[in-house]
Amino acid sequence: MKGGGKKIWFHSTRFSIISTIASKELIDFVRDWRTLLAVILVPLLLFPLIFIALPLFLQGEADELQQAELTVQIQTQNGQQPPEALLNEITDSDMSFVIINLEIPDAVNLSTPSAATDNLRDAAESGEYHCILRLRETNSNASESWDYAIISDSTQELSKEAKQRTLHAVLAWEQIVINNTLEESNLTRQEALDPIHWDGDQTISDIASAGERAAFGFSMIVPLVVALWTATSAIQPSIDMTAGERERGTLEALLTTPVLRVDLLFGKWMAVAIIAMISVLLQITGLLLAIEFLASGFLTMPEVSIVGWLLFIASVLLFAIFTVAIELAVAIRAKSVKEAGSTLAPMILLFLGPTLFSQFVNLEGIELWWFIMPIFNVCLGMREALIGVHDPVHIAAWALSSLLYALAAVIWASRQFNREDLVESIS
Amino acid sequence: MNGDLLVTHQLCKRFGEIQALSDVNISFKKGEVVGLVGGNGAGKTTLLRLLSGLYSPTSGRVELFLDDGTTAPVENIRQKLGVVPESTGLYHRFSAWENIRYHSRLHGIDDGRAWIRTERFAKALDFKSNLHRPTRGFSKGMRQKTAIIRALVHGPEVLLLDEPTAGLDVTSARMVRSLVRQLGDEAGTVIYSTHHLAEAERVCDRIVIIHNGTLRASGSPQELMSDTTTDSLEDAYVALTFDVARTDPPPDDRGIISRWWSNVFTGNSRLKQPSIKSAKDSDLNKDDSTLKVESGRLYSNIHSQNSKNIQSTTPPSLQNTPSIGGEEE
Repeated sequence: MKGGGKKIWFHSTRFSIISTIASKELIDFVRDWRTLLAVILVPLLLFPLIFIALPLFLQGEADELQQAELTVQIQTQNGQQPPEALLNEITDSDMSFVIINLEIPDAVNLSTPSAATDNLRDAAESGEYHCILRLRETNSNASESWDYAIISDSTQELSKEAKQRTLHAVLAWEQIVINNTLEESNLTRQEALDPIHWDGDQTISDIASAGERAAFGFSMIVPLVVALWTATSAIQPSIDMTAGERERGTLEALLTTPVLRVDLLFGKWMAVAIIAMISVLLQITGLLLAIEFLASGFLTMPEVSIVGWLLFIASVLLFAIFTVAIELAVAIRAKSVKEAGSTLAPMILLFLGPTLFSQFVNLEGIELWWFIMPIFNVCLGMREALIGVHDPVHIAAWALSSLLYALAAVIWASRQFNREDLVESIS
Repeated sequence: MNGDLLVTHQLCKRFGEIQALSDVNISFKKGEVVGLVGGNGAGKTTLLRLLSGLYSPTSGRVELFLDDGTTAPVENIRQKLGVVPESTGLYHRFSAWENIRYHSRLHGIDDGRAWIRTERFAKALDFKSNLHRPTRGFSKGMRQKTAIIRALVHGPEVLLLDEPTAGLDVTSARMVRSLVRQLGDEAGTVIYSTHHLAEAERVCDRIVIIHNGTLRASGSPQELMSDTTTDSLEDAYVALTFDVARTDPPPDDRGIISRWWSNVFTGNSRLKQPSIKSAKDSDLNKDDSTLKVESGRLYSNIHSQNSKNIQSTTPPSLQNTPSIGGEEE
């Protein structure tokens, strides 16, 4: 009885020491506003920025281009005049035009740039014209038939926009020509071009609800972002609490205390894992807030069950345990912050590959071994949790294998924390 | 036991090819202030780290005598040690008190008791007004005082100090020496390393001279002078450390790729000793008031007409002189 009491006291003391170390690390972390900004504020704002600022910016750029006054040079041959319908469509596309007549041999492809197109770049810069529409009338059974090509410069925004507007005008003109041809043959457009057609509204024929479809889309991007952010957000605190301590000489003083090195690892691990988890949860919160309040017009809130969310959080937690232990172990081997940074930064590629590829793995009929492979297992577990597939075998596979990897990572990290050269630093 | 508190038996420490310490047998008695004196690379810091359990001995052992007369390996009873490393190791985003409190909590001391002891030591070191200031921007002396209080606050039986007065101004160094002496007078055991013979002579009951990883002598200043039939402690030191200080490079613990990559740029192996003979004769003769750089090496300017006899141009008396008061280890 006495021995049992002593054991409980020993464990509570150890937990108290681990908590003391973790608290100190968290306070130290919070006092540095730069790292706080990077790990807390950035993930919270990342998705709102992607959903709001980016579309607004792109819309602004598109509007600016829409306001631009553009001119197309129409090149015809052998005295031919461009059709009136085409010129009307070009005018309707907010473009002006100039017409020139050239002698282009029939054998020459209209798309091939020639001396007549050489000065397009200069003309676009001076505003004279921004793209060239080449026309050549051909013979066919249609009411009329033309070959065309649009010469443009894809490296200039105005030339690209002029090409788009010209193409739009040409396609509209083509519809007019098709309609005329059909009329001459006494056919309606639907009879000729749409003899087999969908009856009713395609969107309501999907048995998945809008929320479920949103969750499916969510599952394609969120595991990737969450896994990568877990790995990246843990790097800076991991380095600061290990190589940073070595470099500043604080680790030597810490190691002279009676604290077991494995407790030191657990204390630091707890602090980094908390930081990484908070960072990831803030990121998901930011994403949901962005969907609910900022992008409600074009995005639907995903429908994920409570079990799905719990499994999702469990998978993130297991991944954080594994990742943080590995990063702490790698960082503690380095004698300086620079050395640790240059080792850990490329390590992100090791996470990037599996997290990226796991987004393309087909979940239907998926083999069990996918749920055992490191990193893949967690990402696929997250995907299944989000789309509402709760297969007990899959869950057991990713949970147990993740625990196993996390345990291996912690054992390796504790070996690194027991290295004798930890007291040495470059300073 | 004979009042011994801390004892080493055949203590050896090797780092790769480097034998840092060989067969060190030494005992420290309760209430004794002992100075570890030696030149750069002599092994003082290695011995202190072995005594504090930070390093494990390659062979031999360090034992601490417990109150009941039994002994225990030092790494198992760090509670009884207070250590001030050379780098002080303070968290700069924390105040002095927060630094002290963190370590005292790790020693299992409650905050109230830690504060009472902190106040007492801070008063002795004239440091009380700085306890709530962040340590960022602290002078070397202020950092050293914080580290000393931190090492004392849990009430250790042995205080280990690595170069505690290095870089301190006269007043701060005097204050630290005074505190050390006071701790000794109050039956505390203090072991501290220093380059300064005069300081060791003033503060310590006993001086331990370490040279090239071996224990050369141990005794009071008078005993050392009498044993070497010299008139001053400095002469006694020179007599005891007659052989040239070793110049082993630190152990190269870099990986194979790092070493190879470094060699690509430096054009030599780190294990290869920089040799004064590799300087061109003309360079050594040309100019005698500047430093020269060639092939990435810096050669000190030496008055010499013939570089082949460069060793003999250095006065013999200086060849054996330890670097007292010189650079830190």
